[in-house]
Amino acid sequence: MKVLVPIKRVVDYNVKVRVKADNSGVDLANVKMAMNPFCEIAVEEAVRLKEKGVVTEIIAVTIGNKAAQEQLRTAMALGADRSILVETEEDAQPLAIAKALKALVDKESPDLVILGKQAIDGDNSQTGQMLAALAGMPQGTFASEVNVADGKVKVTREIDGGLQTVELSLPAVVTTDLRLNEPRYASLPNIMKAKKKPLEVISAADLGVSFASSTKTLKVEPPAERSAGIKVASVAELVEKLKNEAKVI
Amino acid sequence: MAKDAVGYALSALNKMAGSNVLDKIGLRKLVERIAYTLTRTGFQVITTTARTFKSTQKLDKPQRLNAPGYTTDLFDLNITDEQQMIRDSVKSFASEVLRVSAEKADSGHATSAETLAAAQELGLNYFAVPETLGGAAAERSDVTTMLVAEDLAWGDMGQAIAILAPMSVANALTRWGSAEQQAKYLPAFTSENPPAATIAVAEPRVLFDPMQLHTTAVKQGDSWVLNGSKSLVPVAAEAELFLVAAQTDNGPAVFIIEGGTEGLVCGDDPGMGVRAAAMRPLTLTNVKVPAANKLGVDDFDYRAFIDLGTIAWCALAVGTCQAVLEYVIPYCNERIAFGEPISHRQAVAFMIADMAIELDGMRLLTWRAASRAEQGKSFQREAHLARTLVKEKAMKIGTDGVQLLGGHGFTHEYPVERWYRDLRIIAVAFGGLHL
Repeated sequence: MKVLVPIKRVVDYNVKVRVKADNSGVDLANVKMAMNPFCEIAVEEAVRLKEKGVVTEIIAVTIGNKAAQEQLRTAMALGADRSILVETEEDAQPLAIAKALKALVDKESPDLVILGKQAIDGDNSQTGQMLAALAGMPQGTFASEVNVADGKVKVTREIDGGLQTVELSLPAVVTTDLRLNEPRYASLPNIMKAKKKPLEVISAADLGVSFASSTKTLKVEPPAERSAGIKVASVAELVEKLKNEAKVI
Repeated sequence: MAKDAVGYALSALNKMAGSNVLDKIGLRKLVERIAYTLTRTGFQVITTTARTFKSTQKLDKPQRLNAPGYTTDLFDLNITDEQQMIRDSVKSFASEVLRVSAEKADSGHATSAETLAAAQELGLNYFAVPETLGGAAAERSDVTTMLVAEDLAWGDMGQAIAILAPMSVANALTRWGSAEQQAKYLPAFTSENPPAATIAVAEPRVLFDPMQLHTTAVKQGDSWVLNGSKSLVPVAAEAELFLVAAQTDNGPAVFIIEGGTEGLVCGDDPGMGVRAAAMRPLTLTNVKVPAANKLGVDDFDYRAFIDLGTIAWCALAVGTCQAVLEYVIPYCNERIAFGEPISHRQAVAFMIADMAIELDGMRLLTWRAASRAEQGKSFQREAHLARTLVKEKAMKIGTDGVQLLGGHGFTHEYPVERWYRDLRIIAVAFGGLHL
């Protein structure tokens, strides 16, 4: 069984992001980049399926600039067998990414596509769902448990106030939630081995897709700064303020 | 010419302006003004030049100079992509595991089995054992090992030592062990349950010199008999394999001693810092090991054995100092006193700037020593320059870290006091570690 794991290069989750002075976007100069944490969970799940003997090949794929090769190497250090970079300088949006992934699904015909439920930069949570629709595959989103057996995949989904378990026939799309697993650390020997694993670089034209965006970012703003709190002299004053100013009681 | 004419005229005018006659005839103001105006404007004409500049060729775009291409020469301080990935992986481990368990490991005087098991995920031992013996090492990797030590110590130095000690033994066996020694001991290091192992060099006496050991090894028939005492031996109580340095008739040598050997006893003497490394004194009373257990054949280089340990200690100090620096910067920017962040006070800002400068100095010396060692060049001088700087500045950075946090720095609630205690080891440590 073949698994395709699309991953994304994003600003490291430990970095405190800053908005550019002209509000055109987030300042990426000299900022540490890393693999999106949900994508790490997706890679880990694929590797665990391989360790169980369910999966035979894991292909990591990403769409981005040349530097995104670093994240593909990380995915291979974690256990992916080979990887594909669709190289573009464009800031690709979910629909365009989903179309490109559809083209890759056609090319590689995987039995399972595992993606992160969302990337921590755009927070769109759209790519997996769009890919499932475009490829005509069933989808199990926000997975907290994945079991593959007899040509089917059982996905436990985290939904508001509970869990839902769905069964999908393969090929299928699964997007991972936070509690699916805890990704391992890339071991030193595997990092060295990742260097020797194949990394294919292709262009959007090779796939017959375009990353020209139909969405335009008008403005990016930091969250409003919290104003300082106040001190009250008595409980009576507190109650009065909660009632009349905050209007919460 | 223009200069001379204006110059003479001005000099005459200035002389006149200084004369008392002017006051008598009431012309002082006028003359002074003329002298002032001329001085201001007179020299403006003299910078003109006869040269005319002409474009000799057409440029399509401005010409800029590129950075020199990547080289692997001696003083290239770039690390490779793999090394960066290794650092990222080790650093996530350090921040998610070591940082979290640091306080408990410190107060409990031990690195927990869970932490050691988690560290195994990193596959450090594989990195020290050659491919043919089940490991993954294809070439010497002193620089990478040094980076690993640095990043682990950034998480917590005590636990870093406990994690690195077995890898250090494996590294020494790979570097110098005889074929028999390697075949016997190395495969265990890459097994599911690798042995706890450690190196014992330091001795409990004043002016300890690793080249003049008081622990002795005497050849008796087919065996060596060792006597003496060692101090600051990491994970001594748990270790199943020891590398012990001892003096022979031909100078210092290192012996492989298995845990549980008769006469090998470890005591208890908790230190002020790096408590998670569970350092203990070790006593050897007529410890008998086979002749084949003397490390190496004829090419064993005891000096390099000690110096590689020195670099490892320097790397640990650099890592912990980095942790201190990263901690005090946001603290001093956020801590408000007298209506503004304390980092606005120069006494504070200069202290942090010094830390950053000294830390980079320590790091560069350490990296250079490791880089030379990896390339098989002499590195004794470099290792000792690094150690000399590190043992002075690392302790200063530790002290300043506590000072910058004021009263908070002194309490257990903040990690700087632990880092301060940990960094004190640097000036006294020998052995235990090895690149």
